[in-house]
Amino acid sequence: MTNIVVLVKQVPDTYSERKLAAGDNTLDREAADAVLDEINERAIEEALVIKEANEGEVTVVCVGPDRANDAIRKALSMGADKAVHVSDEALHGADILQTSKVLAKAVGTVEGVDLIIAGNEASDGRGGAVPAVLAELLGLPQLTHARKVTVEGGTVKVERETADEGITHLEASLPALISVNEKINEPRYPSFKGIMAAKKKPVEKLTAADLGLDGEVGLANAASTVLESAPKPPREAGQRVDDEGDGGVKVAEYLASQKLI
Amino acid sequence: MLEWSDTEALVQRTIREFVDKEIRPQVDALEHGELAPYEVLRKLFSSFGLDVAAREATEASIASQREREAAGAAAEATSDAGASTSSQEKPVKGGLFGPAGAGQEAMGLIAVTELCRVCPGLVAALGVSLGLAAGTVNARGTAAQRARWGAELATLDKIGAWAITEPDSGSDAFGGMQTTVRKQGDGYVLNGQKTFITNGPFADIVVVYAKLDDGTTDRRRRPVLTFVLDSGMPGFTQSRPLRKMGIHSSPTGELFFDDVYLEPERLLGSATAGAEGKDSARSNFATERVGVAAMALGIIEECLARCVDYANNRKLWGQPIADFQLVQLKLAKMEVARMNVQNLVYRVVETMRAERTSSLAEASAMKLYSSQAATEVALEAVQLFGGNGYMAEYRVEQLARDAKSLEIYAGSNEIQVTHIARGLLAN
Ligand SMILES: Cc1cc2nc3c(=O)[nH]c(=O)nc-3n(C[C@H](O)[C@H](O)[C@H](O)COP(=O)(O)OP(=O)(O)OC[C@H]3O[C@@H](n4cnc5c(N)ncnc54)[C@H](O)[C@@H]3O)c2cc1C
Repeated sequence: MTNIVVLVKQVPDTYSERKLAAGDNTLDREAADAVLDEINERAIEEALVIKEANEGEVTVVCVGPDRANDAIRKALSMGADKAVHVSDEALHGADILQTSKVLAKAVGTVEGVDLIIAGNEASDGRGGAVPAVLAELLGLPQLTHARKVTVEGGTVKVERETADEGITHLEASLPALISVNEKINEPRYPSFKGIMAAKKKPVEKLTAADLGLDGEVGLANAASTVLESAPKPPREAGQRVDDEGDGGVKVAEYLASQKLI
Repeated sequence: MLEWSDTEALVQRTIREFVDKEIRPQVDALEHGELAPYEVLRKLFSSFGLDVAAREATEASIASQREREAAGAAAEATSDAGASTSSQEKPVKGGLFGPAGAGQEAMGLIAVTELCRVCPGLVAALGVSLGLAAGTVNARGTAAQRARWGAELATLDKIGAWAITEPDSGSDAFGGMQTTVRKQGDGYVLNGQKTFITNGPFADIVVVYAKLDDGTTDRRRRPVLTFVLDSGMPGFTQSRPLRKMGIHSSPTGELFFDDVYLEPERLLGSATAGAEGKDSARSNFATERVGVAAMALGIIEECLARCVDYANNRKLWGQPIADFQLVQLKLAKMEVARMNVQNLVYRVVETMRAERTSSLAEASAMKLYSSQAATEVALEAVQLFGGNGYMAEYRVEQLARDAKSLEIYAGSNEIQVTHIARGLLAN
């Protein structure tokens, strides 16, 4: 039996325009459609596959505003059993460290956790540090950037894939934390039955105070501050190469000058 | 009812996601016959667990029907009064996606609308197989017949067609019907032909309506019987798909019957009750027509969304065409149509929730209005897009061709008028 916690986050849909709020440089959540981050769908899928093989319970843990409830419902309709939702105005502007602290406390409310599964990075902030920080806070082995996961008895093995190191093989005894990349699986669609059943699944709502973190979190207490933001500059016109019989050579010379070949 | 509930909205989002990911990129392949609609529909079914749900629901319903039939047969054996029609007592009330439980009435309609935003042909193929073919077998069949044909149709493992129209009898389907069966021993021999049959070219199982040649002189009044045929039966030929104006994702064809021998087990309902076949066909009309409202809604929503986007982005004389009032008029009319048709769909859901069924006149009124609205909106969308609208790349021309079919099938719109009038003038 493997009891699994999956961390999920609601993010602005990557298809809609994403921007930062003018006042405090935090994410403008109203500006875009909000969806369950796709990498989290993969994390849930992996948890469900493990659960189907080994039995156990899948709990989703989410830190986010009230409307993140939609993302939680989706996770539950895919097949997760229950949810913990930390929602608190006081968390507005929380940075990576604070979010990880809140997550650590929230995960602590779930009993008998064997495995925590996260996406390797959210599609909005793209910090990609939460899984590692959380593992550190909880004192768990971290097996990040997994593109393949196997759980056997009390051990978890992953194929880790990064741009720098290529593929490495990691193994740890449970409990442990893993983060998955986009190659891990193809997430299922929630079944109609699952959608109907999700309505009745328990979602525990917690505030920062419930977790004993009152006054420690939020923009004012963040360790990092966004001072300024600017939109991506429009793309500049590229360099044109006129082909007078030597086009190939010119292109190659250009690429070499940019150290691309 | 003003809007979908949270659960219904989640179903809508989930299906939209499926449509965007699995169907939109494939529309051209589907429309050009490179990809069969059935594979996509089966994937839809398995992705949402509809195949499993349909199998469970049909199996359970067949099992309880078996018990009723056994009890009915026992009662018949012990009582002189005899006559039991237990097998027809309780037709399964099926939404498009199988028996609809409380709170699930809207799911099928939502799915139809979402699919129609991109590919109405898929819905025609699905609706005929599931709503008409499976619907008829499961509502009219004995437990044995349902186990033989109904169960696999309900899961889309087998594809069904439903054949009533003939070259010389469309609107006048029953009176003008030329396809006949005559008794031979226990069974029947079928001769004739059908046309414009959705899924006809590829169907595994076909529900066919035919007139019983009982020797009476008035051919128009002979009883209509309903039979279930399997593809490949001797004397039964299925044509290749006919070329047509739109809904290319739904194959349409002809069926030919040349001395096809039908065992008695292929007859749905009883051979003696004269009106049986007509009732069977008519009971499908209302369901089919109500479904057209949900289809029309999808076409209208998609056209409107694309038009708003295009009007904002297409610039002429240095300004978006959305600034021109004649363009605004088009958008406004589309929005009015969208609101009206959406309200009709909500009305259908409310009717189901109240455990009522829409009357034929009511269903015909919805069909008439919503098919016209969809056709007008889609043609106006083509106009709003200008030359781009006439080009396939911008998709609205496909929706315009597809929408037109809604004015013809499920009873032509002129026939809807007569059915509405008959309802009004009946008393
Ligand atoms: C894409 C497509 C799919 C189809 N799929 C199926 C299928 O799966 N199974 C099936 O059995 N059939 C199917 N049909 C057939 C469809 O139901 C008929 O085409 C329709 O009922 C009209 O019949 P008809 O074509 O014979 O036209 P006709 O009946 O010949 O009508 C010709 C014209 O006369 C008008 N008209 C007829 N009677 C009257 C009247 N009393 N008053 C005023 N005007 C009248 C009609 O409205 C029409 O405009 C399909 C048709 C299409 C186009």
